[in-house]
Amino acid sequence: MRVLKLLPFALAFGILQVVLRLPNDGDLIRRLKAREPKAMAELYDRYGRIAYSVVLRVVHNPSVAEDLVQETFIRVWNRMESFDAERGALGPWVLTVARNRAIDYLRSVDGRMQAGAVELEKLERPGFFADMGAQALSMDRVRRVKSAFEKLNPNQKTVIEMAYYEGMSQTEVAEKLKQPLGTVKTWTRAALKILRDELGEAAIA
Amino acid sequence: MTEERLTCQQLEEVYELYALGSLEAAERDEIEAHLTHGCTHCKQGVADAMALNAMVLSFVPEVVPPRELKHRVLAAIGYERPGWFWAGALAASLMLIVALWLGIQEREHYSELADARRDVINITADRDRLNQALLFLSDPETTPVSFGRGQQAPPRGYVFLHPQLGVMLIASNLPPAGEGKAYEMWVIPKGGAPRPAGLFQSDGTRALHVLGGPVDVATLGVVAVTLEPAAGSAAPTTTPIIAAQVARS
Ligand SMILES: [Zn+2]
Repeated sequence: MRVLKLLPFALAFGILQVVLRLPNDGDLIRRLKAREPKAMAELYDRYGRIAYSVVLRVVHNPSVAEDLVQETFIRVWNRMESFDAERGALGPWVLTVARNRAIDYLRSVDGRMQAGAVELEKLERPGFFADMGAQALSMDRVRRVKSAFEKLNPNQKTVIEMAYYEGMSQTEVAEKLKQPLGTVKTWTRAALKILRDELGEAAIA
Repeated sequence: MTEERLTCQQLEEVYELYALGSLEAAERDEIEAHLTHGCTHCKQGVADAMALNAMVLSFVPEVVPPRELKHRVLAAIGYERPGWFWAGALAASLMLIVALWLGIQEREHYSELADARRDVINITADRDRLNQALLFLSDPETTPVSFGRGQQAPPRGYVFLHPQLGVMLIASNLPPAGEGKAYEMWVIPKGGAPRPAGLFQSDGTRALHVLGGPVDVATLGVVAVTLEPAAGSAAPTTTPIIAAQVARS
């Protein structure tokens, strides 16, 4: 039934722009808040592809990924009301909702962290995305963080990916890797510090 | 939980994990209590962590979604009229969401989910109702109430309440109503008489019924289902098969 096959795309730098707060996102937010359906088509054009990429990375199943992306956009549409048009960072919010829907799905299929669903919902409240200054998401910062991310050592990269794309707690990561919890915590905190420092550096520059 | 409270500096190390929902309960509770007490340093720190997390997520290899996905998304908000194909896709999505709701407590297995999808595609030919159901399940104001849990044979399922959208019932283990009969839903206000809330059928496994809103959720006591003549009754004539206590304490 599905004619189109998935086309793997090389990671282009253009993709990064997608997460940034686009100059006219504020206008788009206002139109979404006014429940203008055409604005929803634009929202999808801006963030649909990256949301799908994130969800697919988590669930590894194209048809489940489609369902979850659909849920993501409906959720965003329904919660737009409380999103701040002046200060809200739309891209990070959509990505976070998409990632959380996928993790929620993964956890429910695995029967992991039963109480986690409510927790994830709390963490995607629009209020969290109101205090990201445009400069926090500047192209310069994204570049720095990306290059730091690529330089993480293999252990650091593994624990980061397990936290971001598998939604595992530190204890779960330790069990899966058969490493002491203290070691996993050290790797994770070191990796996050490297990334965070880049964010800070760019802020001062 | 440790005896000493963590300092802002110690919390700084876990802002990102907190934002990912990956912290163990003790640490998570601590950071939440800390934020509730209004530490602006940590509040900004968590916002920065959210930004950093979104950046890291954006580093995934890009994959182009199928072209139909955009139409599905737009159909779900009622912008595009879904064709029959989309009705099926919406049903699939609906059942996934239902399973996630159920999964929180029941750990529905994915193969069961596949069966459920087929059932619902078969019984919910009405695409408008599907859209409505999807909106129900994805809205934060929706409250789910389970019924029949822990019983073997009787129907089990959920009643979903929403002040504007109304009342939605999803039941499994519901036998077909039989020749000349139908199921009738009732909404019963606290201390009031049952009010008819529509007729529906079951295919023998699952049934889905929506009473369009608005509804005063605060005064609702019970949502019940009885077996009635196919034309329906003005008041229940048989013992309820489903009685979901929806009153808020
Ligand atoms: Zn603090």
